[in-house]
Amino acid sequence: MSIVDLFRKKAVAWLGKHSLVSHLRLACWVALVGLAVMAASIIDPAPLTVIFAMSVGQVIGIAAFLGFLVSILMDVVRGSDHPPDAPGPAQRFRESDTKADVTSST
Amino acid sequence: MPHAGPWLGYVALASAAIAAIILLHFLLRRPPLDLRTKLMLLLGLGVFPTITAATSTVAGMEATTHREFCGSCHTMDDHFENATNPDAQSLAARHTRNPFFGEESCYVCHADYGMFGYALTKMGGMKHVYYYYLGGYRGMSKEESRRDVHIAKPYDNKNCRQCHTTTAHVWRSIPDHQAMAAQLESNRVSCASPGCHGFAHPFSKGPDGLGAMPSASGHPAAEPPH
Repeated sequence: MSIVDLFRKKAVAWLGKHSLVSHLRLACWVALVGLAVMAASIIDPAPLTVIFAMSVGQVIGIAAFLGFLVSILMDVVRGSDHPPDAPGPAQRFRESDTKADVTSST
Repeated sequence: MPHAGPWLGYVALASAAIAAIILLHFLLRRPPLDLRTKLMLLLGLGVFPTITAATSTVAGMEATTHREFCGSCHTMDDHFENATNPDAQSLAARHTRNPFFGEESCYVCHADYGMFGYALTKMGGMKHVYYYYLGGYRGMSKEESRRDVHIAKPYDNKNCRQCHTTTAHVWRSIPDHQAMAAQLESNRVSCASPGCHGFAHPFSKGPDGLGAMPSASGHPAAEPPH
């Protein structure tokens, strides 16, 4: 098995372990914190709030957006035949791999 | 940096509010995760936060150029008060009264004007905030800050020459300028020094305003500060 295949399997397994909706909800909460920090720097442009918004606020915002991108990946990996709050296809992948291993050994 | 005006702050707040409404709707109402919800989340987590981040950064950068921002730390109280005093005759006060400098007189005089001047100036400003909150400046009394806080590096005459050309007849006709042209060019002599145009912030240069700073023991220090 190549490194790419191994990485793909691990990524799919990780994406499948978590609920898509709960992942999205977490991204939303993180984004709200980032938005609050950035808005605070506009309302009260004191040195600490401005510097905090331009550094920590941006990092929080990027983390939320990355969370959103990961949830899109989860959605793509799961396909449209699964409800969004169901566990992903990791189990199916593991089962198909086991079958493939059994077939190849025989 | 061009003047963005207050509208940029309004754009940042409006886009943050729209994003927050979308996100709160998703969190509290829990709609089904269909195509419409996904598109709304793309707006709430991607588009509007990006607009907020971009506009708030530009607005924040602009806020850091305002004199009130520089004067918001107590170590700069004297500088702020002197610069805004209509009766003061220091270089800083006279330049602040000039409408060209306006509300950004600290920034206009202290900004680097090289290719990466804006970024370098902002990095220097970050360092000031770091010193204030983590480097002990915050706990200093005004007397201590007057004695111990000095400009990080000698003031560059190039900053003066952004406005005051050294090639015009009026400048060249002054004998002192001609005699010290090389020293002025290499920053060995500052335009803002005693004997020339005086310190920009003379109150920070000791009781006589000429650089004889009292040491911690109360006696005048041997060397004037930069």
